[in-house]
This record gives sequence, structure tokens and C-alpha cells, in this order.
Amino acid sequence: MATSTIVARPLPVLPEGWSAEKDFKPIGSITASTQRTIEPVGPHFLAHARRARHKRTFSEDDR
Amino acid sequence: MTEKGAGQLGVSPSDRCAIGISFGNSYSSIACTIDDSPVVIANEDGDRQIPTILSYVDGEEYTGNQAKAMLIRNPKNTVISFKDFLGQEFKSIDPTHCHAAAHPQDANGTVSFTIQDKVEGEPPSTLSVKEISTRYLRRLLQSASDYLGKKVTSAVITVPTNFTESQREALIRAANDAELEVLQLINEPIASVLAYDARPEAKLEDKIIVVADLGGTRSDVAVVASRGGLYTILATAHDYEFAGVHLDTVLMDHFAKEFMKKNPNVDPRGNARSLAKLKAESEAAKKALSIGTNASFSVESLADGIDFQTTINRLRYETIARKVFEGFNRLVEGVIKKAGLDVLDIDEVILSGGTSHTPRIANNFRAIFPETTSIQAPATSATAINPSELQARGAALQASLIQEYESDDIEQSTHPAVTTVKHITNAIGVISLSGDGEEIFTPIIAPETAVPARRTVHIAAPENGGDVLVKITEGGTHIKVTKPEPKPKENGEKEGEDEDEDDSDFDSEEEEEEHREKIWKIGTTLAEAAVRDVKKGGKVEVTINVAGDLAVTITTRAVGGKGGVRGTLPAP
Ligand SMILES: Nc1ncnc2c1ncn2[C@@H]1O[C@H](COP(=O)(O)OP(=O)(O)OP(=O)(O)O)[C@@H](O)[C@H]1O
Ligand SMILES: [Mg+2]
Repeated sequence: MATSTIVARPLPVLPEGWSAEKDFKPIGSITASTQRTIEPVGPHFLAHARRARHKRTFSEDDR
Repeated sequence: MTEKGAGQLGVSPSDRCAIGISFGNSYSSIACTIDDSPVVIANEDGDRQIPTILSYVDGEEYTGNQAKAMLIRNPKNTVISFKDFLGQEFKSIDPTHCHAAAHPQDANGTVSFTIQDKVEGEPPSTLSVKEISTRYLRRLLQSASDYLGKKVTSAVITVPTNFTESQREALIRAANDAELEVLQLINEPIASVLAYDARPEAKLEDKIIVVADLGGTRSDVAVVASRGGLYTILATAHDYEFAGVHLDTVLMDHFAKEFMKKNPNVDPRGNARSLAKLKAESEAAKKALSIGTNASFSVESLADGIDFQTTINRLRYETIARKVFEGFNRLVEGVIKKAGLDVLDIDEVILSGGTSHTPRIANNFRAIFPETTSIQAPATSATAINPSELQARGAALQASLIQEYESDDIEQSTHPAVTTVKHITNAIGVISLSGDGEEIFTPIIAPETAVPARRTVHIAAPENGGDVLVKITEGGTHIKVTKPEPKPKENGEKEGEDEDEDDSDFDSEEEEEEHREKIWKIGTTLAEAAVRDVKKGGKVEVTINVAGDLAVTITTRAVGGKGGVRGTLPAP
């Protein structure tokens, strides 16, 4: 999706002494997921199917 | 989906003329798109809700309202309420609704009807439900072809979410026999959602939708997660005890009793012809009560040659039909529970199906859900789409989307390898600060989002800018219930303890309503990142990309700034 949501509540200030390689600190992984079926209907599904069948990512799709 | 079995009629994309069809047990509709917007087509009688009825008189075939009128004169050769029988064995069908028309029978396990479809004197025909469906669909196609001025070749048809594989196959074969290529069978609630989402003014938003399809002989409800325009059904429920015909019955009993007040010994429910008249006029009165606050009921020679005329007002109707209306409420509440959700999780309720025109039903839903839930029905929203047209519109939209594809392409795209994917269970979001400086979870990707998924948000930086912490976590919701302070009682007992008979003098029944709200709670931390030197009053962009294997890529930067931070988290 090209659109982005706007959040008014502000981010916190970086704590004193915080540091990480390239300013990014990986901590965990996503904990759970379920297999479900998406409905093969609508324009966004067609885009999903195109990406899935051609093994393309979102950014490749954007180009 | 595997409905494209061997032998499916194929039409090449360049030769196609495609429409959408909603094929119900009670009514059907046909629709096409004109300049990408759906149009429901009126048949030769001018009807857009075409009764799903086939009738024969002197070898002449009738459908729609003309066939419906035959229920009074010629019920034996009139086939009604047959669609759900497709692909079912005789022993598993419920023939209740065929009582006052041609009766389904068992012909070697398949459901059939014996009717006189030729001129008197010829032997009657025993026709399978598939053949009946073919004949009916042929008539729908004819109406659509007449309207479009060219032969319709193909269609997307809507089906209930609990339509079995064998019902799907039988429907496709019935359509093929009518020289109709089935581009795709799509789920009815999803067609309704698509009809709303395809409106030019619709915004692409992640939301949880309840689709309540209240029809003639069945009510079907689905909870749908809509995420970036992808739809996932989370739960469904089906009910055959509370639907349009049960409202007809309430009115039939009411009018019969009114009639019998004047004619004590004549029950119009006592003979088939009177009953058919009573039913037809009761349904008409019911529809009138959706628009007006009064409806008249008038039948010539209702029973024993006696004419009958009366009126009913909406309030009276709503009183006598309360049980049925409450059935709809329970059905909707039940399916939300089945999905593991709360009414506070529901962003939108779409009412579809003819019965959804009833104001009381929509108003009851309005009362069940919080104010933030939009209730899409004529009675509760000025911009609601006609609930009787939603499925046909959605089917027509889907037909126009896929008609240029080769049937192989459609088949491959609808294959489980493409449609069955991981969905994240918890939300993924960022920590921001509330007014009093407390850490709060702000969702970026909603729970039940199919992956791969990508979402971007822009978040305010701290007031004075500078270096900013972007902390990405999982999040979940819980419902916070705030009970009003219990009023102390004179005898010192706490409220809620064993009921005492002499309690009834107190006005404690007038309890304030408890307040329920949905609260996000912060889950496990996934990553932290620093965005440096953000300008005063600036914003920070955060993009989260979850791959098909649940590996996560996070990118963040100051909006308008250069560079930025990018990092990845491994798949679990
Ligand atoms: N304006 C209206 N007000 C109230 N009820 C209506 C109205 N219009 C149609 N109905 C009722 O809606 C029902 C038909 O619903 P729908 O058109 O969704 O049929 P369907 O999908 O074929 O039904 P099913 O398959 O459940 O039998 C009928 O009971 C009809 O009387
Ligand atoms: Mg229906």
C-alpha cells in the first residue's frame, strides 16, 4: 500500500547511552501465526496472486 | 478452489461477455458493470429481485414474479426453493419450503421434481434439481443478454460459505448446461464486502467486518478481516430458523386471526389456495412495512369467497415479530464470539439480503454495537447500498476484474498454494507516548493480517525533535470493563451477593451501565532503532514488512530526511 497512516501520539526520546550497531537492535521474532485462506476476490487479491506466482516482493512490484 | 473440474465450459477471453449472478433460494439477481460501476439488471418484467421460481402452464415456461403468481393457481407445476438442493443427496435435504409447491423426490439419490412441463395430455417429466437450475439460469442469461444486446457467455456466481464441493460442482454443471461459463464461484459475504469497497469514495482501511446476510429461507453471518484489501473469513454461522419466511409466517398468523375475528369458522390457513394468497399478501405487507409505518393487507376472496381488507402498523409488526428479530441478534453475537472477538472489535456491519431492509433489525444491531461501529443498512446509514443488490454487484465487479484472464490463470490464482497463507496472530506496532508520558502500543500491522504484508506509518517525533527511539513490539487487546461504584446497601451486604427477597424495595436495579473499552497492551519487544537529529516538529516514518515466512524488515527515517535505519528480524 502506498498510503501511510498518521499517528499523532509522539515517539519517546532516545534514552541516554542507547547504542546499537547501525542504530538497529534486533531483539525478537514474531511469536505466532495461523494458516488461513484469503478470499480470491478483488483487485488487491489479484496483485497478491501476481506477486505470489511470480515470486515478487512488494518493492519489486512497486517498480 | 477446485471447482474448475474436467469438462468446464471454456470461453476465450476475447469472446467473453461476463456478468455477475446472485442465485438465491428465494430471489436471484443479475448485474453487469458499466464503466467499472456495477448495475443490477431488470428482467423483462422490470424486476431486479427475480424470484427463483420456475413454473409451467400448458407447456409454457414462466420464471420470476410471473412464476410466483402461479403458486396460487398451479402450485404442483411450480418449483421453488431448490437452489440449496444442488449437489445434495435426497436424504440430506430439508424440503420444508417446498411444501406449497412441487415436492422434491428421490430419483436414484438425486433430488428431482415431477412436473407437467408440456401441454396437458403428455406425460409429466421428472427433472433433476440440476436440470431445473439450468432452465432457470438460462432465463436469467436471456434477460441479461437482452439488456446488454449481446450474448452473455460467462459469469461469476455467488455461493453461501458453507456450499460444499459437490454443491459447487453441481452448480457449475448446471450453468455449463445452460451454455454459461463459470469464471469463478465466490463467497456471498465477500461479494457484499467488495460491493462496498469498490465504491469510488471507499478508503482502503484495515477493518473487521461482520456481514449479516438475512435472506428468505436462511440467514448467514460471516466475520471478515479486511487487511490491505485482502479478505479473510474468520468465522461463519448459518441459521435456518430465523429468516424472511419466518417473518412472513408471523404476519400470516396475524392476518389469519384478524380474518377469523370476523369469520370465526373459516381459517385461511386451512386450504392450500387461501394459504398461498395469505402468504403472497403477507410478504407484500412485510416489504411495505420496511418503507412505511403502515401497510395494508387486501385479498379478494381470501377464503370461502370472502374478501378481506385490513392494515397493520410497524409497531404492531415489530411486537409480533420480536422473537425472529431476536434470533438475528443472537446469530450475530454468536459468530463474533466464535471468531474470538468482541463487539468492540467490529468496525463495520454490512447488512445484505432482502430481509435486511427491515428497519427494526438494523436498529437492533445499532444497539448491540458501540457507536464507533458503522451499521450499513438503509435504516441506519444514508449511504448504504441496497442490501438486495450487494451480492450481484460484487459478483459483477469480480467478473469484470477477471474476465480478461485465461481460465487457466484464474484457476492457478485461486489455488490453495496462492490463497492459503500465514496470518499474524498479534498486532505489530510501535511504542509511543500518551499525554501523561505513559508508554502505549500503537498498531502498525493489525492482527489477522495475511503475509507477505507491508505497512507504513508517520509518527510525530518528540516536541523538540532530536534523537528518537523507535521501539517495535507485538501487541494484543483486552476489553477493560469499568463497573460503576457499587452502591452500599442499608443492611451492609455487598451488591451481587445472594439475592434477598426483600431486596426488591430498593432501587438498586437502576444500576448504571458498565463501561467497556478496548485497550492495547504491549507484547514482546521485536526491535529497537534510533532515528537521529529529527527536526523540531518533525515526523518519523516507520515501515514494517513481514515476509511470507514471517521474517521482518523494519525501515525508519525522519520524514523528509536522508538515510535512515534498516534492520531485519529472522523468521521464527
Ligand atoms: N423491502 C423488504 N423488506 C423486508 N423484507 C424483504 C424486502 N425485500 C425482500 N425481502 C425479503 O427478503 C427475503 C429474500 O431475501 P434475498 O433476496 O436475500 O433472498 P435469497 O438469498 O434468495 O434467500 P434464501 O437463499 O435465504 O432463501 C424474502 O423473505 C423477502 O420477502
Ligand atoms: Mg441469499
